[in-house]
Amino acid sequence: MLRYNLRLALQSFKRAPSLYFLVLITLSVGVGLLSANLALVSAMAGDPIPEKSDQLFHVSMNTWPNDQPQAEPFHILRYREAIKIAESDIPTHSAVFYASGVYARDSKSTSLQRFDSTVRATTPGFFALANAPFAYGSAFAKSSGMEVVIGDELNQKIFAGKNSVGEVLELDGELLTIVGVLKPWFLRPLFYHATEGRAFDLTDDIYAPLETSIDLGWSIHARTSSTVSYKGVKFTRDRNVFYLQAWVELANKSDKKAFQYYLDQYSQSLKTAGEHPLAIRNELRDVNAWLLEQNIVDQKVLAFTLASVLFLCVCVFNASSLLLSRFHSAKFEVGLRRAVGASNKQMLMQGVTESALLGVIAGITSLLLSWFFLKLSTKFLPDLANLAIIEPKILILGMLIALFTAVSSALYPLYRANRYTISAELK
Amino acid sequence: MLIMNNVSRIYRNDTIQTHALRDFSLEVNEGEFVAVTGPSGSGKSTFLNVAGLLDTFDQGEYKLDGISVHGLKDDELSKLRNEKIGFIFQSYNLIPDYSIFDNVDMPLRYRGFSTAERKHRVENALEKVGLASRANYLPSQLSGGQQQRVAIARALAGEPKILLADEPTGNLDSLMARQVMELLHNLNQEGTTIIMVTHDPDQAREVSRNIQIIDGQISDFRIYAPLQTTDKEQSNTKGTTDEHSIEQESVDA
Repeated sequence: MLRYNLRLALQSFKRAPSLYFLVLITLSVGVGLLSANLALVSAMAGDPIPEKSDQLFHVSMNTWPNDQPQAEPFHILRYREAIKIAESDIPTHSAVFYASGVYARDSKSTSLQRFDSTVRATTPGFFALANAPFAYGSAFAKSSGMEVVIGDELNQKIFAGKNSVGEVLELDGELLTIVGVLKPWFLRPLFYHATEGRAFDLTDDIYAPLETSIDLGWSIHARTSSTVSYKGVKFTRDRNVFYLQAWVELANKSDKKAFQYYLDQYSQSLKTAGEHPLAIRNELRDVNAWLLEQNIVDQKVLAFTLASVLFLCVCVFNASSLLLSRFHSAKFEVGLRRAVGASNKQMLMQGVTESALLGVIAGITSLLLSWFFLKLSTKFLPDLANLAIIEPKILILGMLIALFTAVSSALYPLYRANRYTISAELK
Repeated sequence: MLIMNNVSRIYRNDTIQTHALRDFSLEVNEGEFVAVTGPSGSGKSTFLNVAGLLDTFDQGEYKLDGISVHGLKDDELSKLRNEKIGFIFQSYNLIPDYSIFDNVDMPLRYRGFSTAERKHRVENALEKVGLASRANYLPSQLSGGQQQRVAIARALAGEPKILLADEPTGNLDSLMARQVMELLHNLNQEGTTIIMVTHDPDQAREVSRNIQIIDGQISDFRIYAPLQTTDKEQSNTKGTTDEHSIEQESVDA
């Protein structure tokens, strides 16, 4: 019967192509717009590292040396606190880093072209902590040394994607050897640097040892706070310059408790020594709590998503009204089929099959439209460029919404069609 | 085959209540060809619709092939319509963009037959009405008479117990009407029970029994006498006062 119902559905489309085209467009625009927004919200609100997001904790500390600017734990740390965290053996892994930037070129290249590259100056624990995927080589072993790991994009630009381990890069005039190359790596959001509006940046081009970066004086490309003046990052190790972010991986609750105690003890020792006057408040927030704290989901996108839900409702009402007129004009056939033995249930199934087929076509069209809407939105809002991606789950969700809305649109018309008196339609 | 006892059908709206059938009683035996006549608005079509389970009734009892239809659910009524009744309409009611084959095939689709069985039945039905060679034509490619024969084939394909025809020749010229009537007579001679609503006195005379409906009841004054009156007919027409029943000669002009 399904095959027969599908055949009848196609026949029905052929009979009133303009009307079905209108229904299709109405539903597709509504679903497409909602899917595009859901794709953005999903990318913004997604868990970037679901396999262990509950075990990774951002560290905020309350060690500001006076009672200004705030009495709240600070998300950036001094070098001394960061190193204290890196030294602890409680976390499975820890990462202390800052963002920087350099110009990079292949040291052997005859071309003088240099690529503007983002740098993550970090301790080696970063790679294991963030599950960075290696294509070639491995992480550097120490926080110092003239070695780097590079991302896939930079490897494509400079070495055409080949195994570049052992190659030497010239970074702002310094020669550093590549020890690892990452696979294409997408973190949405970029949980390890979700502050300063960078949650939707791409992963970095270069990962360099923290101490080396400081020694080379690679400047800080992120928020810093200090109570003293300093001439550059080289001079930050023993000063009140707050610029390092710290993440730790804690396998279980007892490790978390132990690490919290470790931090609190350290803060207390500083307070006792008169180095800060603040209450002991050190905070560990897991990935999702941290991203929530950062309010990375754009409220405008949320509002627009809500508006697109309402718009979809209007589309469903419009489609329903179009289908009502279509089903009304098909009263004769409904009456005839009922007269020759089709039950209400069979007619309902025929209508549902027709609307489901319409839903599948609307689903495909709406996904094409949502891709178009996303591309359009990145034209107006370039910040969304890295988020404008339709993931498989959004594809499936879009199809399901299209199916649901198509069937919903047909429900009232179907109900009405099955209420017609059979004999009234036949002469 | 068909027994109605005191069946009433009332149509109501906010201001008017219309008794389309009142205490309507009739018995039709297997193999009969019954013509139903009466003035417009007398209740002929309502009777046919109730008999064909296309419409409900408010009171009384109706048995079709021994099955009391009162209180049956939609599924059960649909099954009865599909298996026991074949409809022939004045306007043929063929679906214009379906081939002749698909039009005849339609009731069989709801019966759950296999493809081979359906094909066999459709071909047989079209053979019976002399249109086997036109299976792939569209209705618009056939004459009115041929279209009505297709409608008859559709009604026959499911091998129903009873054919209900509502003015089957009403849209046809006399030659085509004759062909269709001959076909119906042939089917009746093969054993098919037929109830036909008609305005044509000649057609009413040709059949084994005719009844006249006036104001929703069977009238005991029949303007079209059958060519042959059978004893059976006398006993089958209920709801009339038998002692006052009068066999009438034709009084039509």
